[in-house]
Amino acid sequence: MEPIFSAEGSQEKAEMARLTSFVGAMAVGDLVKSTLGPKGMNKILQSASGDGINVTNDGATILKSIHLDNAAAKILVNISKVQDDEVGDGTTSVCVLASELLREAEKLVMAKIHPQTIVEGFRIASAAALKALENAAVDNGSDPAKFRNDLLNIARTTLSSKVLSQDKDYFANLAVDAVLRLQGSTDLEHIQIIKKAGGKLTDSYLDEGFILDKTIAVNSPKRIQNAKILIANTSMDTDKIKVFGARIKVDSTGKLAELERAERDKMKAKVAAIASHGINCFVNRQLVYNYPENLLAEQGIMSIEHADFEGVERLSLVTGGEIASTFDRPDLVKLGHCDLIEEIMIGEDKLIKFSGVAAGQACTVVLRGSTNQMIDEAERSLHDALSVLSQTVRETRIVLGGGCAEMLMSCAVEEEARKVAGKRALAVEAFARALRQIPTILADNAGYDSSDLVTRLRAAHYDGKADFGLDMNNATIESMHKLGVTESYKLKRQVIVSASEAAEMILRVDTILRAAPRKREAH
Amino acid sequence: MSKPSAPAKSNASGANASFDDKSKSKDSRYANIVAARAISDVVRTSLGPKGMDKMIITAKNEVIITNDGATILRNIQAFHPAAKMFVDLSAAQDIEAGDGTTSVVVLAGSLLGAAEKMLEKGMHPTIIAESFLKASAKAVEYLTEMSTPIKLQDRKTLERAATTSLNSKIVSQFSTLLAPIAVSAVTRLLTPTSTNVDLRDIRIVKKVGGTIEDTELVEGVVLNQNVVTSGGGPRRMEKAKIALIQFQLSAPKPDMDNTVVVNDYRQMDKVIKEERAYILEMCKKIKKWGCNVLLIQKSILRDAVNEISLHFLAKLKILVVKDIERDEINFLSKSLGCKPIADVDSFSEDKLGYADLVEETTKAEASIVKIMGVKNPGKTVSVLCMGGSHVVLEECERSLHDALCVVRCLVKKRALIAGGGAPEIHVSRLLSQYAHTLKGMEAYCFQAYADALEVIPSTLAENAGLNPIAIVTELRNRHALGEHNAGINVRKGLVSNILEEEVVQPLLVSTSAVELSTETVSLILKIDEILWSR
Repeated sequence: MEPIFSAEGSQEKAEMARLTSFVGAMAVGDLVKSTLGPKGMNKILQSASGDGINVTNDGATILKSIHLDNAAAKILVNISKVQDDEVGDGTTSVCVLASELLREAEKLVMAKIHPQTIVEGFRIASAAALKALENAAVDNGSDPAKFRNDLLNIARTTLSSKVLSQDKDYFANLAVDAVLRLQGSTDLEHIQIIKKAGGKLTDSYLDEGFILDKTIAVNSPKRIQNAKILIANTSMDTDKIKVFGARIKVDSTGKLAELERAERDKMKAKVAAIASHGINCFVNRQLVYNYPENLLAEQGIMSIEHADFEGVERLSLVTGGEIASTFDRPDLVKLGHCDLIEEIMIGEDKLIKFSGVAAGQACTVVLRGSTNQMIDEAERSLHDALSVLSQTVRETRIVLGGGCAEMLMSCAVEEEARKVAGKRALAVEAFARALRQIPTILADNAGYDSSDLVTRLRAAHYDGKADFGLDMNNATIESMHKLGVTESYKLKRQVIVSASEAAEMILRVDTILRAAPRKREAH
Repeated sequence: MSKPSAPAKSNASGANASFDDKSKSKDSRYANIVAARAISDVVRTSLGPKGMDKMIITAKNEVIITNDGATILRNIQAFHPAAKMFVDLSAAQDIEAGDGTTSVVVLAGSLLGAAEKMLEKGMHPTIIAESFLKASAKAVEYLTEMSTPIKLQDRKTLERAATTSLNSKIVSQFSTLLAPIAVSAVTRLLTPTSTNVDLRDIRIVKKVGGTIEDTELVEGVVLNQNVVTSGGGPRRMEKAKIALIQFQLSAPKPDMDNTVVVNDYRQMDKVIKEERAYILEMCKKIKKWGCNVLLIQKSILRDAVNEISLHFLAKLKILVVKDIERDEINFLSKSLGCKPIADVDSFSEDKLGYADLVEETTKAEASIVKIMGVKNPGKTVSVLCMGGSHVVLEECERSLHDALCVVRCLVKKRALIAGGGAPEIHVSRLLSQYAHTLKGMEAYCFQAYADALEVIPSTLAENAGLNPIAIVTELRNRHALGEHNAGINVRKGLVSNILEEEVVQPLLVSTSAVELSTETVSLILKIDEILWSR
């Protein structure tokens, strides 16, 4: 018989396909599960190509960087990415929950229950879970003092599972201050994070304004008050004719000298045009060469060269100036403004600080730490906290953490299961079990006796103590309300929604078709 | 049932499964510890005044001899991720304190060793990591308590601290010479309000020739470069008017690609003549402003000077120094009180610098350009560093840099503590006393942390050829009897009051070593897997 697929394509059917998906998804879940919670572990990501290393316990970062060759596993990676984009945190939880759901589903499939029935059950369960979650959510959005406290608690909870856990109070305050400056905007671009090795983590600080990691040109004034800033992306050497291979033929050195003079004059004209904007600070993305630098300095204009794409863009964002590249019409160019530009020293490096910038909400977090890995991870943690907080400012409802919300949902789902008739009920029960895995893993990671703790927690919840969760410091169960372990409602909701959707999607798969890899022609 | 027992002994299947999983993470945790400790063992023997040096042959076949921890680690190309973290750790200490780069790694290695033993006992790594961080906060508290505040006007004390740092280097026999240099260099930059010093304002100029004894702090500015004398120009200039120029005195070269087309030999003559005229014109313009010393920035595109311009400049009695690097411009313009000039037409009086004397002298077979008696000099310092060979010179510079950092640390945090292992023993004793007031795993971790701190005195003793056990136990004993400043007197090979021996170090070096090493150790402990990523 003629083959239906091309030689290297392949097909996996029913049993095999399902097995492949389950195995892949569970492998990914097991991979990241040890990073969950306040006592979660870190992983080293060693780059196979370069010699860069990364130490992290951020689920999204881990999953983004590893090689995977399994369709289901890739779906989990995707949902964790979506979670990262949507809420910024909970990337590990969503992945772990999805894989636990699939682990339960596998057992049901083994027991000869049709995947579609399982899907149906999962849907009933997730609806019940979401309802329970919503009922448990508290909204303090109208009371600023209480709300700030909520935010602090959320930041502390998020940070406690990261490298910053030891200094979580310090960083929680820092993150809350930074987010409240944003005044409701979720645009984290306004919060700049600068990383400088050296010092310890608590040497990190929040500074109003914007810090640019560049140096002020020699000779320029080093401090400017009431700065009017022109942000540019233009080449400050002679504007070359952009025709390939343009060249000039002359017959004497004198003419060459004239040509050189002409180039200089052109440059001078350009600088004059720039100066005519009435500025006292000129920031260029490209190099500002010695000559223009001198000319600008003579007019008392501070020049900052080679400010990078990111630098000029942020600067334009925070100072309200436009990035200009032609200077013929000074009246049309929007200049940036700030109260003060000065040099500051962080560690051994000199940086430039723009304070009192037009966009009042902008601020900079300077992170210090002993190793680059430490600072990178600190940045990721802080970013997670910042994004969760900025989301919470929008959706002010909160729920309790520490496995409390999961247990609450699990109980509600079990309750629901009793009312469901038919095989679907089994799937609903399975969903409840999967939810209970989250507190189980939390306890396992901390080296506690998970079976004991989780059963006690469940008993407490059935006993009406709906605010109980795991106290990860004392290996016992405690009211999360009292400990102030809170999480964003939006985050938890997103975890349940994405995880059950992903599980459903993978469950519905009955065939995996693999296309033949595209041939690369050898040259 | 209320007090749960340590890891899963229960028979639930889930717990068993995760228990099996952990054998893998255990392996990678031990692998990390082994790799990191290997790094700390490499530098262990270079700790202290009697520490040994390492010879490093770099990938470029250069030879470096040093006992500076940061330099060794920077050059050994660690491969294992955990080992790399230790390299970074020492670099961070270098940035923060500038000294103690060996101690920080040795301490971190010892902490990891302690953690390893506790892991074997079945303690959970996060608990160890957290307790260690708490212990380090406590240790810093104790260190601060035992320190003595100082005043920056107190030169003697500053010199003592610099001497202690220099004593552990190759240049130790010259510490009496180098320590005052380091102190004067930093104090000269101080303003009454300064809390930090930018070491880039201190320039160390290295010249091969003579011995380390010829090293001096120069009143004025020393240049890395020499005077260009091939055109017969002057080598000494009194009442110098200095111009720092960023253009070149050679044939014109526009940015556009160009060719000079020469058809016959008369035209060739013209080309040469015009070039001469062009250069002469420029030289005259320079002379017109009364400039008689010319410092020319290096250009990669074009010769700074050619024979013709040198000839003219010599005729006009202008002293020429070329090949000034772009990153030197800032320092030079600051210290000479001049401004760089980027075009021959933009000369002006206020851009020139004035000095009483610019002179190239020969000292121990090395020619040195000094600029003395600068009018309105900026706050910068030049140190002329001499030595018999490049290798010695480099190490001398590194040692001097460390000494400068020590003095700078005192500017940042104005307190001193004793050296010679005294603070470590003191803190270790207090910590273990404190540990007795705790209970549970934390108490155990505090005790282990306290014991790990003893690695510093015991390594000091070991490197000095003393019996570490005898010394450390005697130290403990003396401290218990209330001699808080008893430390190892390496010179005499016994335990004595270390403050009387004038062995002191800045508080910042010790506190930052404790904090940074603990931070890194905690990070390493929390790792349970190494994944290969894209």
